Amino acid sequence: MCDWCMKHGAGGKWYLNARNYSYELAESMNLQAYLEEQWKNFEQVYIRKIMGISSIGLGYKLRMPIIGRVLRWSAERMIHSESRNRNPVRADGHFGQVIPIEEAKLIMLNLAAEPIIQNYCMCRMMQKGIKDVCCINFGVLSTVIEKLPRFIPENTKVRLGREEAAAVLEEQNRKGRVTTVWFQPVPYICAICSCEAPQCGGLRLRMDFGLHTVYKAEYYAEVDPDLCQGCKTCIAGCQFGAIRFSPTLKRVLIDQSKCFGCGLCRDRCPHDAIRLVPRDENPVLRGKY
Amino acid sequence: MRKTKIIIDYSKCGNATGGIDPRQCSKCLQVCDPAVFVRHMAFNVKEDNPYDPQFWQITPVWLSLCTHCGKCVKACPQKAITVTF
Repeated sequence: MCDWCMKHGAGGKWYLNARNYSYELAESMNLQAYLEEQWKNFEQVYIRKIMGISSIGLGYKLRMPIIGRVLRWSAERMIHSESRNRNPVRADGHFGQVIPIEEAKLIMLNLAAEPIIQNYCMCRMMQKGIKDVCCINFGVLSTVIEKLPRFIPENTKVRLGREEAAAVLEEQNRKGRVTTVWFQPVPYICAICSCEAPQCGGLRLRMDFGLHTVYKAEYYAEVDPDLCQGCKTCIAGCQFGAIRFSPTLKRVLIDQSKCFGCGLCRDRCPHDAIRLVPRDENPVLRGKY
Repeated sequence: MRKTKIIIDYSKCGNATGGIDPRQCSKCLQVCDPAVFVRHMAFNVKEDNPYDPQFWQITPVWLSLCTHCGKCVKACPQKAITVTF
């Protein structure tokens, strides 16, 4: 279990703690006004200057000798900010974790606060110009997004029931997208996304710049060498480049240091050769999120 | 290390500055494999309302990930993009 489970998990995983979904928590943090201000112009989050520095050319800025280190430290502090006076024009306290689809369905069916809506993925819209209905938002955030017409899907139902939302997530998972659950802001949970690299803002910052916007799942994938037939189906499904095929062994190898534990390879494997193992059970991977 | 520079001529692209509406075009966003560009609301168009959802523009943000493939330069119908490195 990660630091956030210790702080907000009430003895379990943070995203399985019902308190983090409650309206009482949202009200105590005055989230309605905060999220309205944030979502009104959320696309500007990368362009806006923070302490005189914007994300334009972030890769070059992080490589600068001393400034780069300070920038990385302040960015990490901003992403994980738990301060009460957060600035709504930045993505303060907005980070998430990869979860396997069965846990996403568990959240959808039992924990998520009503109303549940589906809307256009903002990352895909701002970085690819594609309107794709896949993000599931709930609780306070869904009432905020319903007021913003650019995120509302046309010719589709916006408000969903619990089973419908779980079905949407499963459909996106089958398409090959990584299911992630998001704090916005920590510790309130109000979104489950179906992310896709490289357009996803969270996965981009994590995979290309090493900032902890998305944590690895509480699991990692392990392949059974006896069951693997070497069909390579799983390789096409991995978004993180963690799987490769070994011609000598005639089976796939999973690089567990790169594995995010999303379970896409497991769901695709026609021979049931891949399973998800809890991260805590491995002495090396334990604590490496 | 040489840094990539992508310059967009905002007099041709971006409806706040006299160009076309990027929401109708977005060709550069679609052809870019590493997704370098970000389409966002234009800044400070009016004094009283800095975020008018009518005005949009495109900014190349993730410059360090650009692979210099030149597809955005070819795809832009306004010939508004220049890439130097």
